[in-house]
Amino acid sequence: MSRIQSQEPSKLIRYAVLTPLAMLVAALFVLPLLWMLASAVRPPRDILRYLSPLSLRVIVPTDYSTESFRALLDGPFPRAVANSLIVSGVTVVAGLVVCSMAAFGLSVLRFRLRGVLFAVVVVSFLVPFDAIAIPLASLFRTWNLQNSYAGLVLPGIGNGLAIFLLRQFFLGIPWELREAALVDGASWWRIFWSIYLRLSGPALVSAGLILFVFQWQAYLWPLLIVSNQRLDVASVALAKYLGQFDFDFGQLFAGAVIVAIIPMLILLPLQRFFAPSIARAGIKD
Amino acid sequence: MRVGRRAPLGNEAAVAVLFLAPALIALVLFRIVPTGYAVVESVRLKGEFVGLDNYRFLLDSDSFRRSLTTTLVFGAVLNPAQIGLALALAVLLIQRLPGARLWRTLVFLPVAVPLLVSALVWGIAFRPDDGIFNAVLAVVGVAKQPFLTSPDQALPSIMLLASWAGVGYWMIFLIAGLQDIPPEYAEAAAVDGAGWWRTFRQITLPLLRRPLAFVLVADTVANFLLFAPVQVLTRGGPREATNLLMFEVYRQAYTFGDLALASAEVVVVVVVMVAVVFVQFRLLRSDG
Repeated sequence: MSRIQSQEPSKLIRYAVLTPLAMLVAALFVLPLLWMLASAVRPPRDILRYLSPLSLRVIVPTDYSTESFRALLDGPFPRAVANSLIVSGVTVVAGLVVCSMAAFGLSVLRFRLRGVLFAVVVVSFLVPFDAIAIPLASLFRTWNLQNSYAGLVLPGIGNGLAIFLLRQFFLGIPWELREAALVDGASWWRIFWSIYLRLSGPALVSAGLILFVFQWQAYLWPLLIVSNQRLDVASVALAKYLGQFDFDFGQLFAGAVIVAIIPMLILLPLQRFFAPSIARAGIKD
Repeated sequence: MRVGRRAPLGNEAAVAVLFLAPALIALVLFRIVPTGYAVVESVRLKGEFVGLDNYRFLLDSDSFRRSLTTTLVFGAVLNPAQIGLALALAVLLIQRLPGARLWRTLVFLPVAVPLLVSALVWGIAFRPDDGIFNAVLAVVGVAKQPFLTSPDQALPSIMLLASWAGVGYWMIFLIAGLQDIPPEYAEAAAVDGAGWWRTFRQITLPLLRRPLAFVLVADTVANFLLFAPVQVLTRGGPREATNLLMFEVYRQAYTFGDLALASAEVVVVVVVMVAVVFVQFRLLRSDG
């Protein structure tokens, strides 16, 4: 943003060339979503109606109908959305506790093996979860964790990126606060809870979003670890729906809208916490 | 002054273990143990140690070799394309334009959508007979395309949908990187009479190396492990054209039920991925 005058394109270029270009690009990214939304809120029989000849009504519904949503909500889908919310919610809460404790141990406490333990965290973060999901699913079956909420939640709790981010933030909190609290006889737990966590609101929001997105986007893992339909998460339920012999376009679009809109509603207002913090955690040491 | 500090150090190690224990247990159990388990299973067959037999079998198998090649080609084409696009978008949307924030948010929007949902929506759009893409092509007079149903077009179609879903994410990192560059550099270049392109190539790009390195590595890993669109749209076909490695492993373990071969494949996936990432880091570090 901080570009100086002489390097900035002239006003003419900015308004006549770059702005229309930016609008065009934005439109390309948003059109598939508009089409999805329009197809979900129109009468199901109209979904394929405006394709040939193609008309603008493909993305601008003129007749609205909640039929697709009502049909979808009658089936097992609401339960799957609830499962996703439960799994993501529990992961965020438990993950924040586990990851912030680890970050505290790696930034505020001093001990000899700190470097080694930090390396373990970084290395395990380098092995992406999906790569080892299939052997882990075999292990989870021998540990009897298949078809359970615990089985869905557990792999999401220890998140290397969240630990990394919180550690960076904790390192920026003045050391004097720790020393003063120790002189006052505060316990470590108290220093962690009422000094570090209390001062780390933005970092906790960022880490919470990372944990949430990981679970909400999960597909391979819930596919592997759940065979009982009552425990299907939303994305798996939606994918199974496509696999049915005579699936209904309207309901599929309605389900897609629901699964897409929940993270958007959470991410967009909190965007400033999400993107830059991950970006900086990734970019800086 | 420092006397007070020495006393709690031993104590601190014990406290640190308690604070770190839950996360370390989780990381070891859910990341490191399964990797080790895959290695152990990959050198066994029906409970007996068979050395590298499973790996030899894989390297002789056409279907696995094809899957490995497909995945490497997929990455070799897609990674540079996505990063180039993300960089172009970052440079465009960092300009002071009317509505810049809105355009940026709209490009970012697909990132919030789970990849599986994007795959389903694009899958319907790609349908040859009643899909919206062929309807759009008809308007400009292009004949119907088979998209996901053709061995030639299926992989490029998946590349297109993966880019739509992912480019906004990488753009955010590059925007953050561009914003971190002190304006004095561009100022100095301007004083020297350098044009925009020269300033970009000789000043901006080198200063953007760290975020670019991060994006390159993370994007490579993401594309290497791409699974949902293949599983839900093409199931590796037509004629194995989209049989990317993650789907190959899944198929080996769950369709063919061969856990030994699937484990060997997991090990190959991890090794190739780590090797590619390592080489990328080295390249980005040494040049310049």
